[in-house]
Amino acid sequence: MADTVLEVRNLKVAFPCPGGVIRAVEGIDLDIHRGECAALVGESGCGKSVSALAIMKLLNTPPAVCRVDKLWLDDLDLTHLPDRQMERIRGKHMAMIFQDAMTALNPVMTVGKQIDEIYLRHSRLSRREARQRTIEALELVEVPEARSRANSYPHQLSGGMRQRVLIALAFACVPKLIIADEPTTALDVTIQAQVLDVLKNMQRVHRVSALLITHDLSVVANMADTVYVMYAGKIVERAAMQEIFLEPLHPYTHGLLASVPRISDERQPFVQIPDAVPHPMRKPTGCYFHPRCPRSNDPCRQRMPRLEGPDDGRAVRCWHPLRQPHEVRS
Amino acid sequence: MSRPNVLLQVAQRGGSLVTFVRKLWQHPQGRLGLILAGCLVLVAILAPILAPYDPYDVTQRAAKGLRPSWQHPLGTTTTTGQDIFSMLIYGSRVSLMIGIGTGVALAFLGALMGVMAGYLGGFVDNLIVRVVDIMLVIPTLPLIIVLTSLLGRSYFVIVLVFVIFGWTGLARVIRSLVLVLKNSNYVKAAELAGASRWYIMTKHILPGTSHLIIMNTALTSAGIMVAEAGLSFLGLGDPTAISWGKMLAEAQGGGALLFGAWWWIIAPGIGIFLSVFSFMRIGIVMEEVFNPRMKASSSIYKLFKHLNNTYLDEVFRSMEEEESVVREPPDRSDAPTPEGCHG
Amino acid sequence: MKRSYVIQRILYAVFIFFVVLTLNFFIPRIGVHDPAERYYPPQGGMSTIEYEIIKQFTREQYGFDVSAFQQYVRYLQGLLRLDLGTSLRSGSPKVTALIAQRLPWTLVLSVSTLVISLFAGLLFGTVAAWKRGRWQDTLLLNASTVSVALPSFFIALMLSFYLGFRLELFPAYTNPNMVAQFDWSWDAIRMVFTNAALPIMSMSLGGIIGYSQITRNSVIAVTNEDYVVTARAKGLPQATVLYKHVLRNALLPLATSIGMNIGGLIGGAIIIEQVFNWQGMGTLFLEANSTKDYPLMMGIMLFLSAFAILANLVTELLYVILDPRVTVGDKR
Repeated sequence: MADTVLEVRNLKVAFPCPGGVIRAVEGIDLDIHRGECAALVGESGCGKSVSALAIMKLLNTPPAVCRVDKLWLDDLDLTHLPDRQMERIRGKHMAMIFQDAMTALNPVMTVGKQIDEIYLRHSRLSRREARQRTIEALELVEVPEARSRANSYPHQLSGGMRQRVLIALAFACVPKLIIADEPTTALDVTIQAQVLDVLKNMQRVHRVSALLITHDLSVVANMADTVYVMYAGKIVERAAMQEIFLEPLHPYTHGLLASVPRISDERQPFVQIPDAVPHPMRKPTGCYFHPRCPRSNDPCRQRMPRLEGPDDGRAVRCWHPLRQPHEVRS
Repeated sequence: MSRPNVLLQVAQRGGSLVTFVRKLWQHPQGRLGLILAGCLVLVAILAPILAPYDPYDVTQRAAKGLRPSWQHPLGTTTTTGQDIFSMLIYGSRVSLMIGIGTGVALAFLGALMGVMAGYLGGFVDNLIVRVVDIMLVIPTLPLIIVLTSLLGRSYFVIVLVFVIFGWTGLARVIRSLVLVLKNSNYVKAAELAGASRWYIMTKHILPGTSHLIIMNTALTSAGIMVAEAGLSFLGLGDPTAISWGKMLAEAQGGGALLFGAWWWIIAPGIGIFLSVFSFMRIGIVMEEVFNPRMKASSSIYKLFKHLNNTYLDEVFRSMEEEESVVREPPDRSDAPTPEGCHG
Repeated sequence: MKRSYVIQRILYAVFIFFVVLTLNFFIPRIGVHDPAERYYPPQGGMSTIEYEIIKQFTREQYGFDVSAFQQYVRYLQGLLRLDLGTSLRSGSPKVTALIAQRLPWTLVLSVSTLVISLFAGLLFGTVAAWKRGRWQDTLLLNASTVSVALPSFFIALMLSFYLGFRLELFPAYTNPNMVAQFDWSWDAIRMVFTNAALPIMSMSLGGIIGYSQITRNSVIAVTNEDYVVTARAKGLPQATVLYKHVLRNALLPLATSIGMNIGGLIGGAIIIEQVFNWQGMGTLFLEANSTKDYPLMMGIMLFLSAFAILANLVTELLYVILDPRVTVGDKR
């Protein structure tokens, strides 16, 4: 059952700009199995959203330049697939949920029409049939009175409803892979939980693989099976979800977890990672994390460590991990 | 970044006239505009020295309708035998005087109205916005024609009319910027410190809008030069002065088209083009310099045109994992060496 | 909600029109005590008594013999009957009749110009945006810097010189018999359009480039919107994304600028009409100006303003249909 739905090898994205190159993504590898939900975690600006767009092949070549050694979606080789054919894949076999539903939906088109479009594009349905499917799709994501809501414009819906529309849009053709880019960040906390439940439910019911992009560790804990931690364009740690919460290996992951405020241990000082993410054009030499790392020493300043660990298990990119990946065996 | 933030950032970049000129000079297009405008101003000032003939001399009966030659580089008019080259040189005076004069006066009035509308708000704002709405629907050119016919055809009247009916554009732009500045912390601080409204308007808000005012002055000056040429072409300018618009009208009336005297049409055309072009350049470059977002996006496309593939390859190679087969282990004493070579 | 917005806009337009017509009433009275002096200025070789008699006559003829307020009321009453006053021309033609006579000829120019500029502008602007940074885009940028610095009447003179006199492709001057001989026959219509070719060309050039620029910038701005990425993520082909998602939204700012330009289109034809001696509203206005025919000038002014107000109003109301987000109290 361990067949891979998404296999990414050595994905790189650069943004040439006046005065230098922004190295947004520096060769990341991802493997997502059928029905699995992998989370790509990191601070804003670490390249996680860019990775998502690059996998969807949605980055325009000015301004971005992408290179990838291998990009397979199930049995489809997308590595060098031309744009024309990529259009047939997007929406049908891989779909995306965006962060801010207000801006991600066309303001001058009813939400129903926007979902209709995807059925009209990828299946031979009449307008009437497409609308019927749209209403069903909206009902699946628990939009009440779906038939009339389909005729509303995005600004007439609440934030939670809009996000559900985006989820319905993504699951419309039951794709092989869903990429959810911060699907709940723009919402109120109470709505977040509802929308996340809907998303999780859809993913489980349809057995769709998902790549969840977030900086919110509670979302990760709620949904993910595997976690990739990203820092300044590189994957720094890879682990199963429980493992990463129980025993982070990379100092950065450790810092991320420690900086989540918890009610239980209120007497402990609030931990935070010092300084900020390096500027993407002026990344430090050696390990990108070393200026902020409590464990850094000379070699960290000189050489970038490799992502080390068993092929399909835990891996960490650090000279001085909290423990060696092969020592951790759960 | 949201729009108000950009505006605020832009406003804070404002500075003195000297910094503007320096920034313009650093930009190749801006330098072109500055040099052209400078040359034109020089020509206008030195017109009596530069012009080989008296352009007002209409008594040269013998020299009517000459083709361009060494004596008359652009020939003479068919009707009165005036030297076209000298007329061209003198024409710059009217164009620049009206253009710059109106531009500066407009900047004054527009800035005042915009700052008042934006900062004082309430009734004043309402009134000014209504006036702007009204001005927008009145056809400008016919109105100017009516007013010049009422008040007389002198350049003073023309400038006055241009100023009275031209400030609305600048006022609207300034107003929206002031609405942003008004809520900025430094203005709030000044208000809390008890500074008077007038003081805040002149000392805090007006300097923040200076880049917009200067930019607008350059662009409106260019627009006014075109408008002035149009008025003169219709025979509604000052009848005593030589202007490029009037030259075009005389060329048409004097049968330049019929006789194929194309130089008679081209010459004032080039005069108008150069003066308008130089001021437009200055305005546009200023917009580019002070609107960083616009600049950034346009330069990226330029960059991609000249993007070197080997350079990109180099960039991507630098992202590769270091080949760690034979590698000096890092500081053994400190931590154990990572084992295995997985990717 | 939308109903009250529509009513609010209509009332505001009426208010603006009222202010404009009031201004229009007072403008010819600027600087003179007695409007009769404006309408019939003193002429040389005329004794004071003679001039007084003439003024008295003029006052009676144009209704200046009552108070200014009564004159204003009469003016308003006339407007309600769509009466813009009487021209000073011989035969005392009604201003409305003169406008009605000339308006169609100006509309030939301005409507063709608008249609051509709009379609070509949309096309070129979209192409430039789509091919951003490539030669199509650079060409548009350079063309726009050049065309803005060249007055339309200079372009008109050059076209008239080169295409009219040199190549003799089109008439360099309007055929004086065009208006008189017009009888809706095919030949007459063809004659109108061959004569209109050069004026339309000279007026369209700036319009095409202007609309191209607006379209380009607007399309580029919309292309960066998130919903365009969503549309692409749905797998829609590029052409569909462009047509259904980008252009639909990019047209909104264009609609505003069309509304504002339509108002100026008729007035803007003045100089071009003069160059080609086209017998439209522009030349009518210039004729009125040269004979100091104030009732005619002010009548044309009011007509043009009303036209502009109406165009703006229609644009605003159209916006409600085009952009579902517009609700009560929204300001542009």
